Amino acid sequence: MKTLLDRLERAGRFAENTALVVLVATMIGVSVFQIINRQLLGSSFSMSWADELVKLIVLWLAMVGSIAACRDNKHIRIDLVTHILSGAIVSWIKIIVDIFAAAVCAMIGWQAYRLVREEASWGDTVLTDIPLWLVHAIVPIAFALISYQFLVRVVKLLHRLFKPEQAEAAL
Amino acid sequence: MILVSLLLIVLAILGAPLFAIIATSAMVGFYNNETELMTIALELMSIAQMPILTAIPLFTFAGYLLSESNAPKRLVRLTSAMFGWMPGGLALVCLAACAFFTAFTGASGVTIIALGAILYPALKQDGYGDRFNLGLVTSSGSLGLLFAPSLPLILYGVVAEVSIDDLFRAGILPGLVMLVMLAGYSIWVNRENRKPMSTFSLREVGAALREAVWELPLPIVVLGGIYSGFFAVSEAAAITALYVFIIEVLINREIRFADLPRVIRESMVLVGGILMILGVSLASTYYMIDAEVPQKLFALVAELVSSQTSFLILLLLFLLVLGAILDIFSAIVLVVPLILPIAAGFGVNEVHLGIIFLAAMQLGYLTPPVGLNLFIASYRFEKPIMHVYSATFPFLLILMLSVILITFWPTLSLLFL
Repeated sequence: MKTLLDRLERAGRFAENTALVVLVATMIGVSVFQIINRQLLGSSFSMSWADELVKLIVLWLAMVGSIAACRDNKHIRIDLVTHILSGAIVSWIKIIVDIFAAAVCAMIGWQAYRLVREEASWGDTVLTDIPLWLVHAIVPIAFALISYQFLVRVVKLLHRLFKPEQAEAAL
Repeated sequence: MILVSLLLIVLAILGAPLFAIIATSAMVGFYNNETELMTIALELMSIAQMPILTAIPLFTFAGYLLSESNAPKRLVRLTSAMFGWMPGGLALVCLAACAFFTAFTGASGVTIIALGAILYPALKQDGYGDRFNLGLVTSSGSLGLLFAPSLPLILYGVVAEVSIDDLFRAGILPGLVMLVMLAGYSIWVNRENRKPMSTFSLREVGAALREAVWELPLPIVVLGGIYSGFFAVSEAAAITALYVFIIEVLINREIRFADLPRVIRESMVLVGGILMILGVSLASTYYMIDAEVPQKLFALVAELVSSQTSFLILLLLFLLVLGAILDIFSAIVLVVPLILPIAAGFGVNEVHLGIIFLAAMQLGYLTPPVGLNLFIASYRFEKPIMHVYSATFPFLLILMLSVILITFWPTLSLLFL
């Protein structure tokens, strides 16, 4: 169980990093080439797709970045409790808010899934021939993964609360 | 409805991720309003339709690369060569370097970590008092928020649909006012400590300039490019990202290729956090406008205050409380759409409103209970949080004065428009 979670964790981190590197590199590359094309090459390439692509990358960066933020526990929150309380109560509070977050993300993910399925039936495309729903599919996927991440953290917290010696050993 | 709101506030204070809180309030609103719940996904996806947003990941990436390289050290060396000979010089170095660095890295606490670590020991060595140093470094950590190309400025422009170029120009004088007032205070506090930290040497200035030769074009290209209108903001961001990558990774070789995935991840984690909050706030704003919340708020405020001056006083009080609870990014995406129409009703210019908003939120970095800079400084310099509070307090007062000045003197913000 532990090793499976660990392996998933490593694979997930690797996938996120790869996706982020590719997205950032593409974004910089396309944006800079667009400027070069306009300023130096007299717009000799037709780059009408570039603006659209870069904007879609922003959405993907937001989603993949959010998954990564969840894994690194870096989502923006009011970080007060950990500064004024200590001990088991902090763990219980974390468990409550993480269950809440997991439920909300599952709900958003579900709504996004419904929307994407509907978009698939409309047949809209972006970047000339890529189906819109395929590009938007990142949103339900991301929220499913984020929801899963919150649940994993709840499991880890519970584990640490009830089996502290095992949790220490695993660390 | 009130019960749900109370529950959400409790969850937020307990530390639930803010995006989940905002998303829930939007979905509950949709449900009560009989709006299709898919709207939340639709609004989230509309992130891909906002043109200027590309600047946020690009500038953040560039800022993180800079802070990972030795650029902070070079910046401190250069500013000390230029200002170090003056009495209180090192304090000025601290303020100038931090302001510059924050503008580029977006006030996410990176400044205290990257520059504070160099400046704090240097200040001590130079005979400045420990309390002063701690307060100075902590409050400098969010200075420069009003200078281009800071992330909060860009985000305000996106949310308020105000020209970012205008905002960049509007921030110059108010930002300088903050700098000058803090500098004046620092010199006054250290008036007994007359010993300048070094004599002025042209050779040292030259050496520092040579060392920083690759970074020097950066502010000229970015700021010059944007302020002159040669580049659009998102173009300047792309150029900056590529340029910083070339100089720090390929030329100075201070960041190894193997470190790049980590740096990209760290910067995009921040971007993901900000854009996620923006996305769900688009949904909650959609609901609030649908439910005519701004109009109701306006009616409420109009009963309380009757003139622009009294409105601005109320606004400032509100923003100070808001800044103490919420981080600057969440505050912008959540609150700006609500107060924008109200401010317009009282004849407050939307660019000026942005500057007031950000300047007041900057104080939030230093006010308990959740001031980010206080916690970072406490952690970084291993001082008790109460100690950091009290050391920062005089600086907070000075900054508050400057915010009042910025609020009630619109010309400061609007002179260059």
